[in-house]
Amino acid sequence: MRKLKVAIASCAAVLLAACSSPQDTAGIRDTVVVAQRSDAKTLDPHATNDQPSSRVAVQIYSQLVETDSNMEIVPGLAESWEQVDDKTLKLHLRKGVKFHNGEELKASDVKFTLDRMIASPTVAHIVGAIESVSVIDEYTVTVKTSEPFGPLLYHLSHTAASILNEKAVTEAGDSYGQNPIGTGPYEFVSWSVGDSVTLKAFDDYYGGKQEVPNAIFRNISEGTNRAIALETGEVDIAYDIEPIDKDTIHNHKQLKLIEGESLSITYFGFNVNRAPYDNVKVRQAMAYAMNTQDIIDAVVMGGGLPTNSPISSRVFGHNPEAKQYEQNYDKARQLLKEAGYENGFETTLWVSDNPVRIQIAQVIQAQLREVGIHMAIDVVEWGAFLDGTSRGDHETFMMGWVTVTGDADYGLYALFNSATHGGAGNRSFYSNDDIDSMLQAARVSSDMAERSKLYGDIQLTLQEELPTISIFNEFQNAGMQSNVKGFELAPPGHHKLRGVRFEG
Amino acid sequence: MHNFILKRLFQLIPVLLGVSLLVFAIMSFTPGDPAQLILGENAPAHAVESLREEMGLNDPFVMRYARYVGNAVTGDLGRSYSSGRDVFNEIFLRFPNTLILAALGTVIAVLIGIPVGILSATRQYSFIDSSSMLMALLGVSMPNFWLGLMMILVFSVNLGWLPSGGYSDWSSLILPAITLGTGSAAIITRMTRSSMLEVIRQDYIRTARAKGVAENVVINKHALKNALIPVITVIGLQFGNLIGGAVLTETVFSWPGVGRMMVDAIRQKDTPMVMGAVMFLAAAFTLVNLLVDLLYGYVDPRIKSQYA
Repeated sequence: MRKLKVAIASCAAVLLAACSSPQDTAGIRDTVVVAQRSDAKTLDPHATNDQPSSRVAVQIYSQLVETDSNMEIVPGLAESWEQVDDKTLKLHLRKGVKFHNGEELKASDVKFTLDRMIASPTVAHIVGAIESVSVIDEYTVTVKTSEPFGPLLYHLSHTAASILNEKAVTEAGDSYGQNPIGTGPYEFVSWSVGDSVTLKAFDDYYGGKQEVPNAIFRNISEGTNRAIALETGEVDIAYDIEPIDKDTIHNHKQLKLIEGESLSITYFGFNVNRAPYDNVKVRQAMAYAMNTQDIIDAVVMGGGLPTNSPISSRVFGHNPEAKQYEQNYDKARQLLKEAGYENGFETTLWVSDNPVRIQIAQVIQAQLREVGIHMAIDVVEWGAFLDGTSRGDHETFMMGWVTVTGDADYGLYALFNSATHGGAGNRSFYSNDDIDSMLQAARVSSDMAERSKLYGDIQLTLQEELPTISIFNEFQNAGMQSNVKGFELAPPGHHKLRGVRFEG
Repeated sequence: MHNFILKRLFQLIPVLLGVSLLVFAIMSFTPGDPAQLILGENAPAHAVESLREEMGLNDPFVMRYARYVGNAVTGDLGRSYSSGRDVFNEIFLRFPNTLILAALGTVIAVLIGIPVGILSATRQYSFIDSSSMLMALLGVSMPNFWLGLMMILVFSVNLGWLPSGGYSDWSSLILPAITLGTGSAAIITRMTRSSMLEVIRQDYIRTARAKGVAENVVINKHALKNALIPVITVIGLQFGNLIGGAVLTETVFSWPGVGRMMVDAIRQKDTPMVMGAVMFLAAAFTLVNLLVDLLYGYVDPRIKSQYA
């Protein structure tokens, strides 16, 4: 019994000691702690294409070109570039750029990176158009595509196209994903798997030294917990604040919330092979029955914009002139009558088990009921949802698309081309020869004005034909301590800590 | 004794084979394509197809299962589909976290459960007894995720004493361990109480009292040791449960353990990771039970003689 008492006493002592240890980490300002939804999977940019990994990788690596906050292409590791002919792009590299292992960036690293990327099943599609990469001299490379490929620069700005060091990759072998070497503002220090990744500022970064010497990416899967961690001061920046927590952050004296347009669109899709959705009037009637502003206000607490296109207004090629549907029950009823569905009909919507999308579905359900359309909501597990919608088992479905490259090709080609029916992206099974040929023409052109015109026309047609109804352009957000300055949201979602500092 | 342990260890083989076949079949025959889930909804079809081919997903079920078991026997549990990390290493990195949490949860449960159980039994039908039974009822009924969030609200947000999640130092263990231990504490309390009630009505206790032995010696020395035997079973089972069942608590507190890793892996249809985690938890559960059986012998020598 005495042993038990000693054990109890010592346990209590440990607990008390732990309780009383002051949380002094909150006072130290040499580390920026960022919370995101999940842990990175690997920091090898060619082994994954998921957002949590990219959000860490983007601090460690640089790309040949970058996009700024307006989604314009700006120089990165390539100082300048020229279009030699319509299939050849020549890039001039910045001189004296150092990798975290001390090696200097050479053209051979760029060739090595792109060749490795093309060989990776996970990210090859991003550079699928590239046929060959040649080293001209130490600081010049040319990239040749098999056919003219307009969006090439946007694709090279993708985090998957981060430039790697040949020596570091070869030396690390299979363990490269846990020992990344880049040219970015922060270098990798350690990884506590499942919990956090620790980085430190890289002194020789070509863009200058960072003010905050350390950065930690923590993984907090529950949205409410990320908000709480901000309130308690355990983290400085928290990505993806849930709609219900936005007010708390907003009204908190020591915290602030920033929101901005993303490249993501949430849409309502039809299976146009099935009646009544083979009739364009039915699709238009449903668009007239919906009020997307209500959805934005009620479900995401204002975190989005009604939209007139399947691509965000931040994406190259967006057409502000395309038709925007406003709620009009009379028009909706009229169109249903013309289509022969005067008394409405019954239908089923497929939605994945994402709570925000389920709530959107409920609002739409109520709006459609006004014009006699009775929509049942089927919540389907994500894997089953992807499977079923690629086979065409659905009548209607709700999904999202992120035009992550910032170029209309990425957002329109897969979703509306007749060659990509099903799992390849076109889950509406929409076919239109005109659209097909315009998509192809815009893809193989390197004349940006011509491309913009083609995409503009495509959106005009799509908004008349409505294979999908774009519900809204999602905002992305981040909550942070009010003394965090210099943090900006990157439209593709891979926010950079470069230039972040503490004030006050 | 050694034979007994060896025999029990050999019984692990059919258990693990059964579990692996079941999980492998579930992962294979439920809808959802791992290649598609890994590449995301934006990936083109040919990329998904080539990844499927590379991952060997196009082979027949029997072939894939046989390949899995063949590799597993040599200690190779494969690499995670999504991160490319070695599954075996990954589990060993994470398992200590789960083990610490489960162990501390069990310690808390025992520290609360046994004394309160004894107190309840020795003062049957008193105010203490009914209030502790009410607490026990609350303890088993409260869902872990709710209790966890309430603890975070009180101790992290309002009082600012403890971190709300993650794993930085010892202080981050306290809230999850208490959350995890509460349900078990309730069960152990009830078990201790009923077992104690049974024992203190036995003749030898009456004899001890008649001899004039002090009441606390009667309870702590004579009654407790016998009353503990069924309680140990429950503690063992609870410990096993906590290892496997820490999933909710690990999620609420962003705790980097095996349970949470398994949930992430299931969502990704990361079959090697799910298989590895489930088999590991199954093995841990079985080993804990073996340990409990061995502990009986220590508490009650009569049982030891049956270990032939």
